[in-house]
Amino acid sequence: MNSHHGGEMVIDNENDIVMARKSVREAAVALGFGVTDVTRIVTAASELTRNIYVYAGSGVMRWHTLNGNATGLELVFEDHGPGIADLSLAMQPGYTTGKGLGMGLPGSKRLMDEMDVHSEIGQGTTIRIRKWLPR
Amino acid sequence: MANGNISVIKIKDILLVTVPSDPDDMTVSQLQEQVLYAMERHSARGLILDISTVETIDSFFARTVSETVKMVALMGGLTVLTGMRACVAVTTTQLGLSLDKTLTALDVDRAMEMLATALDNTEGRT
Repeated sequence: MNSHHGGEMVIDNENDIVMARKSVREAAVALGFGVTDVTRIVTAASELTRNIYVYAGSGVMRWHTLNGNATGLELVFEDHGPGIADLSLAMQPGYTTGKGLGMGLPGSKRLMDEMDVHSEIGQGTTIRIRKWLPR
Repeated sequence: MANGNISVIKIKDILLVTVPSDPDDMTVSQLQEQVLYAMERHSARGLILDISTVETIDSFFARTVSETVKMVALMGGLTVLTGMRACVAVTTTQLGLSLDKTLTALDVDRAMEMLATALDNTEGRT
């Protein structure tokens, strides 16, 4: 498969979280990230795919390499779930509407270099995270 | 993938549990239950959770581990989390997860020593 340049997978059951971690690990290792950055990226992917499964039921994870002034890995998590009612609240550590720890969004942001969240009530949520290779 | 085989080894009154390297959520939940029933069955007083092969600890995993530590404590047991890898320690902390109040050790040998000392001390108390 073309996992070195990018790929896409459907997230709609618990085991997909494990498969997502595996695919993201392979992609990050292939790009040349060190072990700590690989762990950061895989952990963020684990949090965000679980959010899809828990809050939206199903969605898609896409990943691809970024080339330009720097090389990086971008992961996109997209669902058509209920959306996030209050984004600034959801970004606060410890806030959760589910039974989690409320660390998924703020924690993933800390682990990555960049994170964009787009969410509309009743429409769904798209989260984009990026990590750049150290030069 | 579905590494449902969780190894539980009994050494004197201590249980040594090796956590599989990349468990799915169900395996993590089952692990908690298996550990608690094994503590009961063996009347164990100490638990060593060996996570030396674990490559990712996310919030679900961390929550289950810290819950398990509390549950074992309710049953009169003491838990030592052992073998956390450097990359996992960095990531877990930066993600914002706290496993504070959880005893930790670098490896199983040291965890055994910690538990032996701690359990000896409680034994001597009247």
